[in-house]
Formats: sequence, C-alpha cells, structure tokens
Amino acid sequence: MSAGRDDLLERLLASARCDSAAGETAEAYDRRGTSIEIVEDAEGSRLSVVTERGLALRLFRSGRTAFAASPPESADRLPAEARLVLGRARARRGARAAGPVAAAGASGPVASLPPDEASARALLSTFRSALLAAGEGAVSLTEAILTAGVRTERVATTAGRDVVFGSGIATLVATVAGRTPAGSMSARVLASASRPEEFSLERLAHHAVDRVLLPLRGRPLAPARGDLLLDPSVAAPVVGRLAPAFFGDEGDVLLASRTRDGREAFAAPAFSLVDDASAPGGPVKATHDGEGTPHARTVLVSRGIATGRLSDTAAAVRLGQPPTGNALRSAYTEPPAIGVTNFFVDPSPGVAPLDLLRALARGFFAAVLLSRPEVNLAADRFRLHAAGYWVEKGRATDAISETLVEGRLSELLRSVAAVGDDLRFVPSGAGGAGCPTLFVPKWKGA
Amino acid sequence: MSEVVEVCREDAEDAVRIVSALLRRGEGGEAFRERRRRFSWTATEAGLLAPAFAEERGTAVRVRRGRESLLVACDGDGPEALREAAREASRRAGGSPFLKSRSPARSPAGAEAFPVDEEERAAQLGAALHRALPDPRGLSVSLTVARVFVSRAVVTAREIVTCGTVQRLEAGGVLRRVNAARPFAFQTSVPWIPALDLLAHALSDAARPVPAHRAVEGRVDVVFSPGAASVFWHEAVGHPLEAGGGERGSVLTRVARAAVAPPGVTVTADPTRGDLPGAYLADDEGTSARPVALLTDGCVDGLVTDRRAAGGASNGHARCGDFRRPPRPRLSNLIVAPGRASRDDLLEACGNGLYVREISAGHADPESGRFTLFVESADLVRRGALGAPVGPFVLTSDVLSALQNLHGESGDVSHPASGLGLCVKGGEGVAVGGASPAILIRGLTAARGRS
Repeated sequence: MSAGRDDLLERLLASARCDSAAGETAEAYDRRGTSIEIVEDAEGSRLSVVTERGLALRLFRSGRTAFAASPPESADRLPAEARLVLGRARARRGARAAGPVAAAGASGPVASLPPDEASARALLSTFRSALLAAGEGAVSLTEAILTAGVRTERVATTAGRDVVFGSGIATLVATVAGRTPAGSMSARVLASASRPEEFSLERLAHHAVDRVLLPLRGRPLAPARGDLLLDPSVAAPVVGRLAPAFFGDEGDVLLASRTRDGREAFAAPAFSLVDDASAPGGPVKATHDGEGTPHARTVLVSRGIATGRLSDTAAAVRLGQPPTGNALRSAYTEPPAIGVTNFFVDPSPGVAPLDLLRALARGFFAAVLLSRPEVNLAADRFRLHAAGYWVEKGRATDAISETLVEGRLSELLRSVAAVGDDLRFVPSGAGGAGCPTLFVPKWKGA
Repeated sequence: MSEVVEVCREDAEDAVRIVSALLRRGEGGEAFRERRRRFSWTATEAGLLAPAFAEERGTAVRVRRGRESLLVACDGDGPEALREAAREASRRAGGSPFLKSRSPARSPAGAEAFPVDEEERAAQLGAALHRALPDPRGLSVSLTVARVFVSRAVVTAREIVTCGTVQRLEAGGVLRRVNAARPFAFQTSVPWIPALDLLAHALSDAARPVPAHRAVEGRVDVVFSPGAASVFWHEAVGHPLEAGGGERGSVLTRVARAAVAPPGVTVTADPTRGDLPGAYLADDEGTSARPVALLTDGCVDGLVTDRRAAGGASNGHARCGDFRRPPRPRLSNLIVAPGRASRDDLLEACGNGLYVREISAGHADPESGRFTLFVESADLVRRGALGAPVGPFVLTSDVLSALQNLHGESGDVSHPASGLGLCVKGGEGVAVGGASPAILIRGLTAARGRS
C-alpha cells in the first residue's frame, strides 16, 4: 500500500470553494487500507482480502458542519452534497477546520507491510493448540476469525493542516464450546491488538476455557457481603463504560452528577484513569486522530479526582484547552467523533495480583463475565453477571458458576482499595479499555 | 440526495463473462456488487445538529473450492473494480484469466443529479422529533437518524441477479433523564411520511419517565406484545435454526422433526415480505428469496441455509453485512402465524405476571439453548388485567423449556415489529424484520437489570 500522495485530496479541497471571507473552512480526509480476514470453522476455511480507499469532506461555516463521504469514483460530488445541507445544520461553537500541526507532529509513520496470510494462519493454528491444551478435552473451537489490517490516512484543511499517518489493527474472535457431564455451553471471546503478533494467545485460550467451563463446573452463589476481586477481563469492560463521562463538554452532566459538581471524588485514591494511544499493551498504536491532531497522554482521573476531558478540535475550543487528539473515525463514511484510544486504569501504583488474592479474607474472585456488564452512568448503577471462585484466607475454596455483583457505580469506584500491576485491555469502541486486577474489600453485594 | 440508488448493471455481458472465465471446474462462486447511500442527522432534544452524507460502492469476487473459499473485495461497483477483484482472486486462487484493462467507465455520478428536496425532508424530520418530544425538559437525547438506501446485485457465471434496492429509516442512540438512561433503536422500511409517524410514536413512548416500580424477580408468566414476541422468536428459534452451527449444530437442530412447541405454532423465515426490513429479491449469493418453514405445527421443520452449507440446495438466506464480508446463513423476516386469542384472553390466562411491551436487545447461546431478553418497557399483570408499569428487567430461560411452556393460544393479529432492526452476529449487522401475534409463556426467569 502506498503512502497515498496523489492529487485527489487537493482537488477535493479546492473544489470545496470555501469562502474564506465568510469564515468558511473545509477539511478533506483520505483513507487507504488493506486487510485480510481468515475464518476457520467446521465447514472449512475462508479467506477475505479487502483493498479500499475512501474520501470525506467536512464543510464548516459559522459553527455549522456538514459531512460527505464516498469512494474516489464519486468524490467529485462531495462538495455539492455537503453544501446542500450545510444551511440546515445547527450552529455549535468551536466547529471549524483545524490549523497546522506543530512541525514535530506534522506526520506519523505510515503503515508498512500488508498483513501476511501465512503468518495469520499459523497464529490461528497456535491458538487452536493452546485452547485444546488448556481445555483438557472439554473445550472445542467452533469458529475462529482473525482480521488484520493496515491503513494510511491523510487529513488536509483549508486552514493549513496536512498530515499523513498510518496505523494497524488486528482482532481475533473465537467461538468456543465447553462440554461436561453437567451440560454444555458456547461463548465468544475476542481480543484486539495493533498487530497480530501482539496477541497473547495463551492468555486468550485460558480465558476462553474459563468462560465456558466455570459456569458448568461451579455452584451458583447468592449475593452476599464479602471482599471482591475483579480480574482485568471483568473490570476492563466496566472501565470502558466510564468513557462517555469524559467526552468533551458533553459529559459535563454525567460527570457533575457522579461527583456532585466536583465536590466529591470520582473514585478512590488508588484509581487513576488515563487515555494514551501509545500505552504498552494497548490495542491502539497511532500517532494522530481522525482530524490529524497528534494523540496525547491525557490523565482523566488522578488519584480519584476527575481532572481532564477528551476532546476533538471543536470540544477543545468550547473547553478552552488544547485538543487531546481523540477525534476518532470508525470508517471513512463516518464523521469523526470523540472516543477513546487506549483508555485504562493506571497500574503504576499496583501490586502483584497474587498479593491481592492473599489479601482476600472471605469473598468472591470474579474471573469471567458471563454477559455484557450493565453500567448506567446516569443512574449510577452497575451489574455484573460473573463466574469465578469463592476465596477464603487467600485460597480458592469453590468454583462459582454464576453470581450477580451489583450496586452503586460510584460506591464501587470509591471502594477500590488496591489495584494490580497486571494491566490488560479489551476492545472498546474503536479503541481499547484496560484495567489491572481491582480489590474491593467488604463489598456489600458480593 | 438522489433517490435513485441502483448498483451498476450496464456491463452485464462483460461481467458475466469475467465471472465465467474466473471459475474453473469444481469451483463455485460469484461476484457481488453493492451501492449504499446513507443520509444521517445527529438529533438532540434541541433539534437536528450535524447532517452527514455517505456513499459506499464495492465489489467482491468470491470463489469456493471444496472446503476453502476466497473473497477479494475493493471499492467501486463498476467494470474496472470487477476486473481488479477478479484479477486478484485469480492470482490468489492459482488461475490466470486474461482480463484486459479498459479505461474506467465514467461514473454515472454526474448524471445522478440530486433533487433539492433534502431541506424539506430535514424540516419534516425536525417536525417529527418535535411531535415526539414536545416538552424535552429534563431529557437529554443523543440519536442518529438515517435514511439508508442499499442496492445489491450478484453476478454469476450465467447472469446478473438483482438482490433488490432497500430503503430504510433507522434511528439509534440513548435517551437520558437525570437518573436514568435507556437505549433507543428503531427501523422501518415503510415510505418516508408514515415512517416519520412511526418514529415519532416510538420515540414518544421511549421518552416516558422510567417507572418507579421494580419488576418482580424469579419465575414469572409473561405475555409478550406482538413487537416483543418478534424479538423472542428471533432469538430463541431463529438463531438456533441458522445453518453453520458447527458439528453439533444447535439445541434445535439436534432435535430435528421433534415437537418442541404446542400444535399450531408455525414460524417462517420469509424474505419475500416486502413490507418488512429484512426483505430481498435474491440473497447475497444470487439465490432467489423464498419462505422457509422453521417450525411447522410445533415441530422443528427446517433451517436457513446458504451455498456453503447446502450447495445448490441453498434456500436463499446467504446474507452479508456489506461487500467486504463473506455471506453466511442469516435470518430475514421471521413470521409467526396468528392464533385466535385477543390480548385480554391472554392476560386473563396469565393471571398474575408481566406484560412485556418492548425488548431492546437479546441473545441466545445455540449450544445450551439459554437466551436472555432485555426488557425496556413492561406492565404488571394482576388478576388478568394490566397494572402499573415496571422498570427495566431481564428475562432468561432455555429455548426448549420456553417453547414447551408456550400457551396453546396466541394473539389473533400478527403485527410487524418496529423495534426489531439490525441483527448483529459476529460483529456483522444485517437488517431483519418480524411479525408475530402476542404470546404467553409461563415460567420464565425475571431479574432486575438496566436499572
């Protein structure tokens, strides 16, 4: 895949014919990508190879924004399509094309080699072996889907920005089935990374085995008071659901209601939240966002106190701060929207997870989620349907097939007494959500 | 935006020749073309915010040989895109058809002048939102409302088959009050003005304050409204009867021909119902759409298939989210035959329980048969009459038990479901529809949720 320097983008920007005297600006976006997907199931193997290019245009006038996108063959229509509806859009302060990027961040590395089919197949084979070994004959792989892609993006504006950057993404989705004398069940597990080589296949295999065997082998647990230990695979999806509270000025109401207008802490002092596109182990490895703004490390909660927001160009103007580089494009056909890159609980004050387990006097270790967590920021409620182990004096005494952990979200966050040093990520939106093991002593509902 | 969305067919003879030349003895396959236009608005309680127009055009060439299959996709739906995809597919499949490059055909883009009525549509949409939310105080709305047009065609070695052009109005997002938030999803394929009325009605319903009453927990008898029943059938019966469930199949395919539901219960996957969102003329492999009976008179009867699962005996249910993904057996519209009971009859038969009005989401495990339904709106049923509305909760059970405990009589009218929209499986969404009468199921398990 080439870095993508032809004149299509320039022509698109020129054909927008912005009336700069009237404060009109434009932003043109070009995305080229190639990806492969390998599906292996009981009926055989499927290989998909996709090569694609798309362009998009945003027009800005007096706070109004209009967006249009298409493949190259019909890109000449985009200015007319956008202009047609610009007048009907509602004005919102801050909407404008972004200016030049400081020289240091003017461009990022472009993606290099396209995904390799042979190594992708080898990776799937390794995962299958790891799963069969971990499952000890009780677990089989029904379907595995590996997707790997690289893309090059370019953003240019009439305000002087012109940035080219590249990135990669890989996902592995596995449907596994567990069968024991007690019954059978299947479940889907998934992982994402910036490159296939970064998958932790052994860990995913063990997680998949726990996901289908724990519910078949353990006993149900009625909610009861006790200590609570949340595995990263359980805690990370909950953390991911906190993100909208930090989306520009739109999260104001949510954040204010969770902190009583800033008078209370968002979480316990052990709990710090960060968004960082270069975080080690995170599925996102990117230099710029969908508006061409360089990504930054943004501390959103520092030792329990809400301190920051994620922003795009427009939200940054409204917030009166520099943009954090969180305008994400899920596809060239979608306008950029505020989102997370690698959004995680900072593990730097963490201790070894085994030490946290030893600290459990009597309680529940939630090892796997059995369904999507319910997290309602507005109502300040959460509910986890999980399986795991009952622990007494630091030792697992019973496998638990299912239990509910629920209560006030703010109470859970403010009760975190310690975090582990084992940060792990799960896919969340276009990015990833990460968390180390969380220790919550004397949780009333566990 | 132009109302004319038609995938490229001008090169029919050439396209068929290319596909025919690509496929060797023992190979099956086809080319797939898609054109998709989406015109969307971000809607808030204050009105419409940011308009967006997006067009996608794509071509995929698919080759099947034994247990292996290959898909090569690229952007563009014209002759050059087909040549490019066929060349790459041939290279990867080990063949070498001589596909001479031609200068790219001029895109018909210029000819597709857009009528300038988009402003009027925006005004109509704004008015519909205003009707739905006349007093939005205390309410925060974050929705994306979109008009979507999709045109698809399949090029086989013999002909070009039109899958159809679909037009939908979609809406999705979140409604928030001070201490509550709820998801909102809506989809319809009826014409624009009636679609706006349906949207306004659904949004108005969804914007009602969350009831203070909490749902009962534990085992409960449940009457499902026609719309909610459609979601139950889709999750509990539809998904387990999609082919491709692995060596062991699903909880329902393992009991093929067995009586699993009361006599008289007939469930059909019917993509020919043009009034529902899951309709098409031919599936995404070019097989003509036809109704497939899944349950007949309470017995497991059939399953929906594609060419990979059934070869030439495919019953026309190969569907893909877009041109980039290979098709797989997926549901279309699930139709359940009506019975003879009125809603009051069902409430009386229920006695004490719940009347479920709206289910926002659900999922089923085809291996164990366990399913979960997320209920957004429901009322208590007391002594056969509707009582107070209750807050959101979750219903679970397993498919075989639920079907066994299905009341013998169902409602006398089969209504289309507006809440059943996009079915996501493996991260890939396809439009689906449903029409069902109201039903009564005893002994489901209710638990608080989405509070």
